[in-house]
Amino acid sequence: MLRVENTLFTIVMLLYFAAMILYFVFIAVKKNPIAKAAVILQTAGLVLHTAALICRGIGAGRLPLTNQYEFATAFAWGLCLVSLIFVYRFRFPVLGAFAAPIIFLVIGYAAMQSKDVHELMPALKSNWLGFHVSTAIIAYGSFGVSFVLSILFLLRDKAKEGGFFDTHIPSREKLDLISYRSVALGLLFLTFTIITGAIWAERAWGSYWSWDPKETWSLVTWIIFAIYLHLRIRRGWHGKAAAIFAVIGFVCMIFTYIGVNTFLPGVHSYR
Amino acid sequence: MTFAVILLVLLVVACAVGSFVKQGQTFDWYAASYSETAAAWIMALRLNDTFHSWWFIAITAFLCGNLLLCNVFRLGTLIRRTKSFGDAGNAAKRAADASVSGVSDPESVFAALRMPKPQQSETDGIKILYSSKHRIGLWGAWVCHIGILLLILGFGLGQMTKQEYSVYGVPGQTRPIGDTGLFLSINDFRIDLRDDDTVEQYTADVTVWRVPQGSTTEPDEQRAVISVNHPGRMFGMTFYQNATGWAAKVDVTKSGEPLQSEIVCAGEYLPIADKKELVVYFNAFYPDYALVPGEGPKTVSGRLNRPAYLYSVYYLGELLGMNALTQGETITIDDYEVSFSEPQNYTLIQIKRDAFTSVAFAGGVVTMIGLLLAFYILPQSVWAMPAEDGTWTVYAESKKRRAMLRDELERAVSATKLKITGETDAQG
Ligand code: HEM
Repeated sequence: MLRVENTLFTIVMLLYFAAMILYFVFIAVKKNPIAKAAVILQTAGLVLHTAALICRGIGAGRLPLTNQYEFATAFAWGLCLVSLIFVYRFRFPVLGAFAAPIIFLVIGYAAMQSKDVHELMPALKSNWLGFHVSTAIIAYGSFGVSFVLSILFLLRDKAKEGGFFDTHIPSREKLDLISYRSVALGLLFLTFTIITGAIWAERAWGSYWSWDPKETWSLVTWIIFAIYLHLRIRRGWHGKAAAIFAVIGFVCMIFTYIGVNTFLPGVHSYR
Repeated sequence: MTFAVILLVLLVVACAVGSFVKQGQTFDWYAASYSETAAAWIMALRLNDTFHSWWFIAITAFLCGNLLLCNVFRLGTLIRRTKSFGDAGNAAKRAADASVSGVSDPESVFAALRMPKPQQSETDGIKILYSSKHRIGLWGAWVCHIGILLLILGFGLGQMTKQEYSVYGVPGQTRPIGDTGLFLSINDFRIDLRDDDTVEQYTADVTVWRVPQGSTTEPDEQRAVISVNHPGRMFGMTFYQNATGWAAKVDVTKSGEPLQSEIVCAGEYLPIADKKELVVYFNAFYPDYALVPGEGPKTVSGRLNRPAYLYSVYYLGELLGMNALTQGETITIDDYEVSFSEPQNYTLIQIKRDAFTSVAFAGGVVTMIGLLLAFYILPQSVWAMPAEDGTWTVYAESKKRRAMLRDELERAVSATKLKITGETDAQG
């Protein structure tokens, strides 16, 4: 099973890479059928990626979400899933084009991690951990998408009237709304991640919140997106400031994910 | 709300600082790691214990106050808005987010927008079709804020009132649980290993009891099997299998006569029974002992192949010596002989009582519900009024989806037109 997963993983990487190149070609030559092909390739990648995750789960005999490799590949999966949902729902292939390099970067990061399957220490064997990490993947994926959207939002102001970006990127208002939808999805799931993590910590360690750096930084990310929400509703601030906070929020999220383990060791550092 | 945003930004900064400055260290530690000046600032601003500092608590308190006031003030408006949202009479006065005119069959536009069947009413002689849905969503932010308040309240009260104890021992031992009047007896403790020597699970079987009180309603004894991730709840407290370590039987003889025999855990002191100023300290245990040159004593594996006990002897607090004993060896101090045997694992059980955990948890759930309402139950109202030429103008309002609403409305109208055309074609 793990060998099948390995092969699938390589194919998925190639598919994501091909999709990314096609998206670039689409932006260069501005022909819609190319965008369609890119979306199809990315969708095929997602389907095989799902199969790869299932194979890994069967091969390891548990939910494949417990070490750096597993989390990174699942993060790429979450990003791909959420970005495709938004691409289809809002008929917005340019979003796919901007998300593709990030997906490729994350899956590339996964490829550099050790793929060994280790037995879990007792504290990690919990259904709550399963909920905790799977919701984190959707939250991370959504914030990745809102990051891309916010960048597009900030770039849109510089787009030439009647040019490619002006015609292929939704209006400021719509972009702001789509970005809000992705932050909303992310914040809902991040809240769920934090709550299930707290329940798990309470059962495993006897303390549901102990200001461990990873906990603290997930709270920081959560508060930053709460700030985004409030800035967004305030008249006058609409848009730009909120978009900047969505970008900062994503950076904090990445720091929570990678930086905390590197710079601030704590309970979560075995990940 | 500006104040709220400022408070939230301050909280972010405080959390970041609290995670970068290592918590709970002394002035000397900070002076050695950073600089004397930095250490002085850290101590003055209590950055060594950021999350319990007066200023962190003050920010949180202001946040709670602000949230509470904001929610109280908004309550009236919200009730009014909720009422008027379902009220057709108000519609004509409301500003629509999108509208399309020249519609011949307004009811099918309502259906295409997936709105409930519209109600017809007349205000000031003007006919109006009105339908609204999801007005409960208006309460999302309010409910979310209540959840956050509960969460902070539950956490804060828990921090102030929670009691924590820890008890350790080997099977057969009974220890008091702090000042609770309860005792904990360890019936069994097991470590399950996998084939590769890694730990599968730590399991303790414990009984908690008190001196019988003669009460018929409350038991005097409760028993639970606890393991990592599976705590036990007894006497209103939660018992966690928290850690493990090694213990051994220590026998002391005096002039060849047995004097004392006790189970001692690694890290514990044993004063000699009839000479309390003489103390044996059990520093550490090595199940598979090896003395590696340059590295000192270490254990090669977790298995009991060559057990060794590292000990120190103190007299009147003065260190007399320190050494490692292997099985069967003895320490001789004047007339006394001390030996270690029967190594076994002890269990460390952590015990907590936090009556407010459930409040915090409820806060979390309410926050989630609030977010769901705010983000996914989007209030929307649609109404239609006749124009002079017999057609209708359809209006829609949905504050949170304003940018998409126009497209949706136009799509709904054109879908109904297509359907009508299709039907006419079929008839033709
Ligand atoms: C001092 C603290 C806070 C104050 C005074 C405050 C105040 C407000 C106000 C006045 C609104 C607008 C309500 C409306 O339009 O119906 C709002 C919306 C909201 N707030 Fe807060 N808030 C605070 C903290 C938070 C925090 C920490 C969160 C956590 C996520 C949060 C979540 C929300 C949500 C989800 C909305 C709705 C946003 C939307 O629908 O787009 N608030 N807040």
